[in-house]
Amino acid sequence: MSAIETASPRASWSATETPPRISEDWLSVIIGLVIFVLALAVLANVDLIGWAVTTSVWNNLGQALGTASKTYAPLGGAGALLATYVALLAVLSAAAMALKADVRKFALAFTAVFWIAYASWVVGSYASFAAVTPAELQRFGVAWSLRLTNEGGFIFALLAGLIIANVFPRFAETIKEAVRPELYIKIAIVILGGFFAVTAAGKLNLASSLLLRGVAAIIEAYLIYWAVVYFVARKWFGFNREWAAPLASGISICGVSAAIATGAAIRARPIIPVLVSSLVVIFAVVEVLILPFLAQTFLWQEPLVAGAWIGLAVKTDGAAVAGGGITESLILAKSAAEGVTYQPGWILGTTATVKVFIDIFIGIWAFVLGYIWTNHINVTSDKAKIVEIWQRFPKFILGFVLTFLVGLYLALGTPADVASKVPVAIGEANTFRVIFFILTFFSIGVLSNFKKLWQEGIGKLAAVYVISLFGFVIWVGLIISWLFFSGIKPPLAG
Amino acid sequence: MSQPDIRTELQRAAPEPLLPIEKKLIGFSLGIGLVLLVVLAVVNYFVPATF
Repeated sequence: MSAIETASPRASWSATETPPRISEDWLSVIIGLVIFVLALAVLANVDLIGWAVTTSVWNNLGQALGTASKTYAPLGGAGALLATYVALLAVLSAAAMALKADVRKFALAFTAVFWIAYASWVVGSYASFAAVTPAELQRFGVAWSLRLTNEGGFIFALLAGLIIANVFPRFAETIKEAVRPELYIKIAIVILGGFFAVTAAGKLNLASSLLLRGVAAIIEAYLIYWAVVYFVARKWFGFNREWAAPLASGISICGVSAAIATGAAIRARPIIPVLVSSLVVIFAVVEVLILPFLAQTFLWQEPLVAGAWIGLAVKTDGAAVAGGGITESLILAKSAAEGVTYQPGWILGTTATVKVFIDIFIGIWAFVLGYIWTNHINVTSDKAKIVEIWQRFPKFILGFVLTFLVGLYLALGTPADVASKVPVAIGEANTFRVIFFILTFFSIGVLSNFKKLWQEGIGKLAAVYVISLFGFVIWVGLIISWLFFSGIKPPLAG
Repeated sequence: MSQPDIRTELQRAAPEPLLPIEKKLIGFSLGIGLVLLVVLAVVNYFVPATF
């Protein structure tokens, strides 16, 4: 499978020449909102999605799986897993149909993607990998553990994908119809809005402070990172403008979507942003395997600095937000071991806030570049138009904002008997958020065929990425995260 | 475009000097960015996060 081909969010849904009726972006909003609304039925004492599968840390496989809600406990873990698979297969196959994909091919591919990815997640929850505290080690009867927490299962899903991409490339090619990290993470982010609302509702002032500090991320990504990376690519590496602009956007802003938006805005050949996107995915894999553990080691006493740093340093929505999830688990575990138990959700919420803030401005930045390019550099009659800002606006952010606002209203603006059920409802939706994270990690791994990408001649592009990312982006991101988020601690649990 | 052409293209690309408009873009971006960061840092200092 070509990493180039599949890294493009537009690449291979459609088997026909006619464009799909709806974009992947809007579909993610619809699917995320459907899950969110179904979960809210709990407020009316109707449990519609409590059958979704969850995984606990285990040392006896028979006890690993369960249902999200006790209402459906008689279903058992295996029944819950099967029900979750069937439901996701039905919904996503309908999505594939709307996108004019080959539904049969998608269904077969998704079957493989789901079972391999979820099996990796279950393996990652094995006590010898996931148990963290001495009490857990004792409870599971293990003397030693990697202490990855059960969210370390994301790493296992990523590794499974990497093995498939690099050892079994033919199989990777076979399942590519369902390897859709952008779709999966966008659905997860829409659901995450509600989860973040419930988290924020208890500490609204703190949440507002985080939102204000998210503005710093926009300035950093667009005005500082972009200019420096563009300069490095043009001046030090001799790239022409057509290559340098998408490369700068990919490295500095938000990976795949920014590279594609910029490429289209400056009227670059389509192959260029697609190639840059492939590179972004590869480096995101490397970052996700390293940065959360660095954050746990060096930033565990500044959890929100760690969350913001991951959001600023990892350059795709999927890897960044899911990486924020791993970072949160690792830091909460380490803090708990030191006797400090933070409320979950705040580190991941900070990463997601930073990422969403950055995403919002992709369209505007692409328009600015498009205006400069079409009026001053490659003067053409095909001028950049203001409507392109909306066309390139990532629509899934609307879903995130909507679920956040609805969740916040339900938690704060409804009678106590209703408000008290909101965390349960959102918790059920959050079960699907975790499943979509797993699918995202696995898909990112499957896209990362290192050998293939190297053969395609991206060595020089990779050099710009290495120098910019490890020599500049990571460190400036750390400084700015520290400047704006240090001293702000998540609320304590309980 | 075939893939080997990309490798060749990247190796043999003719140099394109920075145009004045590109220099302006880089300069203004960095300048505005740094000024805004300083402003935000000052605001952050005087309006600390509330818990």
